[in-house]
Amino acid sequence: MQSDQPMAISPEPVAPRKRAIGFKRPKFKETGLVAVLIGLGLLLSIFGGSLQVPNRNTGEVVKVNKFLRADNLDKLAKNTSFFAIMAVGATFVIITGGIDLSVGAIYCLAAVCGAMFLNRFGPHGAGAGTPALLVVPGAILVCLGVGALCGFINGLGVVGLRVHPFVITLGTMAIYRGIAFVMTKAQAFTDFPEQFTDGFVRREISWHGASLYPVPFAIMIGVTAFAWWYLKHSVTGRQIFAVGGNEQASLFSGLPVSWVKVKVYTFSGLAAGIAAMIMLGYYGSASSDAGKGYELDVIAAAVVGGASLAGGRGTALGALLGALIIQVINNGIIILNIDQNYSQIIIGSVIVLAVLLDRINNTLREKRMTRAARPIKN
Amino acid sequence: MGENGAGKSTLGKILAGIYRPDEGGLEVEGVERRFNSPLDAQRAGVAIVHQELSFCPNLSVAENLCLSHLPRRAGRLDWPKLHERARFYLDQVGAECDVHEELGRLSTGQTQMVQIAAALATGARILVMDEPTSSLSAVEAQRLEELIARLRQNGATILYVSHRMDEIFRLCDVVTVMRDGQHVATVPLAQTNEEELVRQMIGRSWQKIFPAHVERPAGPERLRVVKFSSPGKFRDINFSIRSGEVLGMAGLVGSGRSEVALGIFGLDPKVSGSVFVDGKEACPRCPRDAMKLGIGLVSEDRKGQGLVLGMECGENITLSSLDRLSCGGVIRRSAERGVIVKFFEKLCVKAASPQVPAQTLSGGNQQKLVLAKWLARESRVLILDEPTRGVDIGAKGEIHRLIDELAAAGQAILMISSELPEVLNLSTRVIVMRNGRLVAELARPEATAERVLKLMTGCEEETSSGSRQPAGYALS
Repeated sequence: MQSDQPMAISPEPVAPRKRAIGFKRPKFKETGLVAVLIGLGLLLSIFGGSLQVPNRNTGEVVKVNKFLRADNLDKLAKNTSFFAIMAVGATFVIITGGIDLSVGAIYCLAAVCGAMFLNRFGPHGAGAGTPALLVVPGAILVCLGVGALCGFINGLGVVGLRVHPFVITLGTMAIYRGIAFVMTKAQAFTDFPEQFTDGFVRREISWHGASLYPVPFAIMIGVTAFAWWYLKHSVTGRQIFAVGGNEQASLFSGLPVSWVKVKVYTFSGLAAGIAAMIMLGYYGSASSDAGKGYELDVIAAAVVGGASLAGGRGTALGALLGALIIQVINNGIIILNIDQNYSQIIIGSVIVLAVLLDRINNTLREKRMTRAARPIKN
Repeated sequence: MGENGAGKSTLGKILAGIYRPDEGGLEVEGVERRFNSPLDAQRAGVAIVHQELSFCPNLSVAENLCLSHLPRRAGRLDWPKLHERARFYLDQVGAECDVHEELGRLSTGQTQMVQIAAALATGARILVMDEPTSSLSAVEAQRLEELIARLRQNGATILYVSHRMDEIFRLCDVVTVMRDGQHVATVPLAQTNEEELVRQMIGRSWQKIFPAHVERPAGPERLRVVKFSSPGKFRDINFSIRSGEVLGMAGLVGSGRSEVALGIFGLDPKVSGSVFVDGKEACPRCPRDAMKLGIGLVSEDRKGQGLVLGMECGENITLSSLDRLSCGGVIRRSAERGVIVKFFEKLCVKAASPQVPAQTLSGGNQQKLVLAKWLARESRVLILDEPTRGVDIGAKGEIHRLIDELAAAGQAILMISSELPEVLNLSTRVIVMRNGRLVAELARPEATAERVLKLMTGCEEETSSGSRQPAGYALS
């Protein structure tokens, strides 16, 4: 009776499929962010106006673009580097579905510890004259170690106490900052050995009469590249996505869920430590209110970069681009002489807008995917 | 009626205003209506009782019942009135539960009753019931049927979506069969029979879906469970599975079947007793331990516990075996792809590519991914909890064949299923659970549908088991 109807399900399931199972290169996910960035850059280059600058070597006055000039771009890269590095760390946490509110405080504590160490070995400290070969790695170790340790403690708290990461890191945020405050007695520490500042982080190169500081930028690129590789090619990277995508299924698949979580918080802390190290070297001082409110900027950068607070989604490059976009807008507000008071409103709107665009983009992509998957069903 | 994915639930949701139709209209009592929200549907007297119950589990029964029209007095909630009203609604459907109780603490059956009460509370005259008995025990289902009969007498119209033949024939007057989103036939039940309905649903005869049973010599013992107990869940479970065997585990929902599986897999911290793998005592304390012992669990909740839906299909397959496909913590891409291709071909996974997210696949193909995950891990003991739940009939046949092949290749398989035909046709032995106890172990020739059914439901229900044939013709 129904024989003229097309059969919905093939009765012989073992029918060999001729189509080869192919792997394609994954699509570049950050096209949108790059486009926004280029757009912003063009906008600022065109409407930013120009500036009369005397060339340092020849003394003649040249007209340069306000945005598109070496000093400005260098400043932009430096300002971005702290946030981008921390945003990459925060992205790891956000991919697992967690959140780290304590990055600002970790940044501060690591900076303060590093500053006290450097001050001691500085030109007027007790350990003055110690060879740079010991002091510089020592300072790096202190900053990174303190950062990683703080992150590790966060991770243990989240896993061991089974409290929502928001609460744990809200608590440790206050604790770490408090420790920094007690340690410094609210003093600022300066007077670092030159080998660490001018000799390392603030190493200057001259290019067409402008002085550039490439080290923060290079570290940022290095951290992002490592994180990108790690998320894509390492076992832990894959597990991070799995835990964020479906924690229970990850547990049922025998993944070390708790260990993965400890790792991501440690990495987030470590990233804050790296950022603290750059800040120390670049500015040559630190106090207990360093990095106040950074946690929200960092999370904003990660979210603009496409990380989903629900977990399971996010990229290292996205975090970098997110931080860069926010900084370019900050920079643009100054260049375009917009009242500083408006900057918060503008940045806030951009964050909401970015997330909205991202969601629209994702919905479209999912629709495409579902459509692509459908004809194969029969 | 119709297979999974035939569009029954979607149709029901359109009727209740949850989805909007792309085209076409609907008439309620002769008046053309267009529902833009569930509220519109409620006003027209249409309400739905969902497959997945949708309520606020943290609120009390009374609050849930009156959620859309909470009685107020002077701007505050009128609690006495709220409770009184809720009790009235519950009495209407004959549900026995405390209105003060938090909804999340009720059993599924009770929750369903509350849901029906809530639907009636909105003044619905047309009720859409989407597989109401799919998660109910036999007794609860019986109650529900009585209620439906009563509602009918009171003049309600009921659209009853179900996979269970026996229910349809007992409860309904007219049946509509759907297939692939299309209307196939609408006939009065008196003019049709089960065979014909099944043919209409799947477009072919359904007896052929099981592979022919081949007698095989069983190999060495792989898994032995001795005096396995967990307080409040199951007690004194003893069984063993040998290589090449499929041990079927039958039992009603809530008899402790899945709990035993979770216990073996290290997900129940309170278990006592011993588990022997390959003759050696081993007590897995977490899934990782179990995995290292070569145990794999395909759990009943595929979406919640089996797959990371947002991840690629291929990544889901290799999720549990990454340690073997990596070197120094770095995934070896070519090795991984080799494994993915191997299992895509072996299990005939139908997907556009291994790189599409697992959520774009149909239920059957998703289930194959979960199976592939454990096969990629080379698990030697597989625990399959409802391996064909929510799987369309074509994929179901493939999974049955696969289970058979795996056993032939020397796997030890523990298969838990609510579908008797599945248990009876695939197993080499059958064990039956009731109320957390293992009540019988039957060899294949002894395991007849009638006998297993009686053991499952217990002696006190033997009288009613004749009229009720749970799962006997279930097609889900």
